[in-house]
Amino acid sequence: MTDQEKFEAKWDVQHRKGTLELVIMAVLKGRDLYGLQLLNFLHEFETVTITEGTLYPLLDRLKREGVIDADWRQEEGARPRKYYRLTELGEKVLPTVSARWRKSAADIECILEGGPSDFNKAQSN
Amino acid sequence: MMSDRELIHEYLKSLGRYLSRLDKATADEVIREIESHIYDRLEEQGAEVTVSDILDDFGNPRDLASAYVDHIVDGAPPPKGFKAIEAVKKGVGKSLYYGTAVFGYLVAAALVLLGLAKPFLADSIGVWTAPHGEAFVVGMISNQPPGTAELLGWWLVPIALVLGAVIGRLTGKLLSILKRQM
Repeated sequence: MTDQEKFEAKWDVQHRKGTLELVIMAVLKGRDLYGLQLLNFLHEFETVTITEGTLYPLLDRLKREGVIDADWRQEEGARPRKYYRLTELGEKVLPTVSARWRKSAADIECILEGGPSDFNKAQSN
Repeated sequence: MMSDRELIHEYLKSLGRYLSRLDKATADEVIREIESHIYDRLEEQGAEVTVSDILDDFGNPRDLASAYVDHIVDGAPPPKGFKAIEAVKKGVGKSLYYGTAVFGYLVAAALVLLGLAKPFLADSIGVWTAPHGEAFVVGMISNQPPGTAELLGWWLVPIALVLGAVIGRLTGKLLSILKRQM
């Protein structure tokens, strides 16, 4: 692996760490899903594709933090599955955290574009 | 070659061992969920996936378990029985302390006594060595063993006294260090 690839891979890991909690809460908004369904959902998106070894401990943590909850359900003829859903607390924090995310994304976008134009002007004067 | 079922069973058994810090119901639930997931994925993806692919995605059982267990270790109050462990530690500290005191002061006292007794029992106190130096004896004996040579003569008096004093001092210092650790 070249230094460039190493850096990019590390950046991906760090970035995912911070965003996956929000992603999972957002996926569970309005739908109850079991682990494999959640995993398949995330596999539709390149930057949030994760493995079981990441997903389940994360679900466990979010559950302990009280933003999601789970219960076992058994459909007829199928094996029992543990379904996850947002809790009341989860419903409450999701909009605020989402707004923070959007603000952060907009800020970063602005920085990537070279920063606020008046700052650039002030520096050159 | 292990069958799929055996592979899964082995994996879950190993996971269960590493989850032993969780209460039984919680650990069983974790295992049941993962088992259900593995069979669901096998059904869903059929020939596209093998059991070992899926187990690889879960990672090795020890790492997976620690992700579930680590929060219990961090910042949790000390487990029951912790006080007992402390008490045992203290006990060891005490026996070490008194052991050091007895041993150190006995050796020091013996050396001083030896030095003081030499003038009165000149012939039976000394340091002897066998002719080829395989063994030697320090102390007080009633009859000099045949074929041995006494090494120190009257030098024994100052040497024993100084050595005794030094060992006594060192013992005292060591004890004061041990006391602080207790």
